[in-house]
Amino acid sequence: MKTRVTEILGTEYPIIQGGMAWVAEHHLAAAVSNAGGLGIIGAASAPAEVVREEIRKCKELTDKPFGVNIMLLNPNAEEVARIVVEEGVKVVTTGAGDPAKFMPMWKEAGVKVFPVVASVALAKLMERAGADGIIAEGMESGGHIGHTTTFALVPQVVDAVHVPVVAAGGIADGRGFAAAFMLGAEAVQMGTRFVAAKESIVHPNFKEKIFKAKDIDSTVTGMSTGHPVRCLRNKMSKEYLRLEKEGADFMELEKLTLGSLRKAVIDGDVSNGTLMAGQIAGLVKKEMSCREIIEEIMGQAETLLGEKR
Amino acid sequence: MLEKLISIIEEQLNVEGMEITESTSFKEDMDADSLDLFDLAMAIEEEFGIEIPSEDLGNITTVGSVVEYLKSKGIEE
Repeated sequence: MKTRVTEILGTEYPIIQGGMAWVAEHHLAAAVSNAGGLGIIGAASAPAEVVREEIRKCKELTDKPFGVNIMLLNPNAEEVARIVVEEGVKVVTTGAGDPAKFMPMWKEAGVKVFPVVASVALAKLMERAGADGIIAEGMESGGHIGHTTTFALVPQVVDAVHVPVVAAGGIADGRGFAAAFMLGAEAVQMGTRFVAAKESIVHPNFKEKIFKAKDIDSTVTGMSTGHPVRCLRNKMSKEYLRLEKEGADFMELEKLTLGSLRKAVIDGDVSNGTLMAGQIAGLVKKEMSCREIIEEIMGQAETLLGEKR
Repeated sequence: MLEKLISIIEEQLNVEGMEITESTSFKEDMDADSLDLFDLAMAIEEEFGIEIPSEDLGNITTVGSVVEYLKSKGIEE
């Protein structure tokens, strides 16, 4: 399937894997890219040299394009921004911050830039800064989120910018993909479905929580601090919400979550870890390879979109 | 200019009736989050016919800081 996004990214399919911290490492990224999507290495707060290693290992596993997600508020952002250029990475997705100061360097190196945004105003600003496309992420997503749903956000962003829009949040199958295209998106980004993929290094306990999750099993912590995070409900989220309700200050809440994503992803501690996942977790039922996931989605979506055309 | 600015702020951040001075902070006094601030910046751009580069947005924390910013862009009214 060809769209403006596949043209820009050089991928077979308009499917991007989310840049999830701890989860989006080279095995997963390479598997998604090898299956025809765009794999992403999530730099998160990893030391810059670790990110360089991840990029190199990913190149050993795939000769297809892949990207790096950079959280711009992290202290490592400046160094990682330079490393992607040095390592010849083709695509960068950005979150939490302003990529404008890196744009000239990336443009010169031919790096394509897709900022993740949660509002129309931010989408416009990013387009003006030179973004090649916009990832409009609804609050159905796992991890750090905005306030607007994908269903409402995507068409409004599509109307506000000229560059192609990628829909993210609440998409895990061909129906979600087709719906996103009906809203004007030209690609989708998926997180939760890939967290549970066979090639994902996420601990089996965490994957099991996703497979068992029902429609109402996610919650949002940190609404009061201005940094809302969606995760699956567990002991940790309950404790967080209780403290939040009691008016705990930001530092106290931060202390509770320090290292908690790692606990969930790497150690498989599903009680005390933060199980970042989207609302669509309820739809994800079994472990499949990235290729099986992408082919299933594309098959469903092409049928659905074909019928509509 | 301050009057115009205050009316934009009131509308964007839904703080009609609040006493707004130059020292009023968007985050602390008006509970604005980062998305609100981006929206506010767009509205200010439109009203005053300027472009606020995103790297300047970090400096906008209080009503007074916007006033200073607009003055630095040559806007007095």
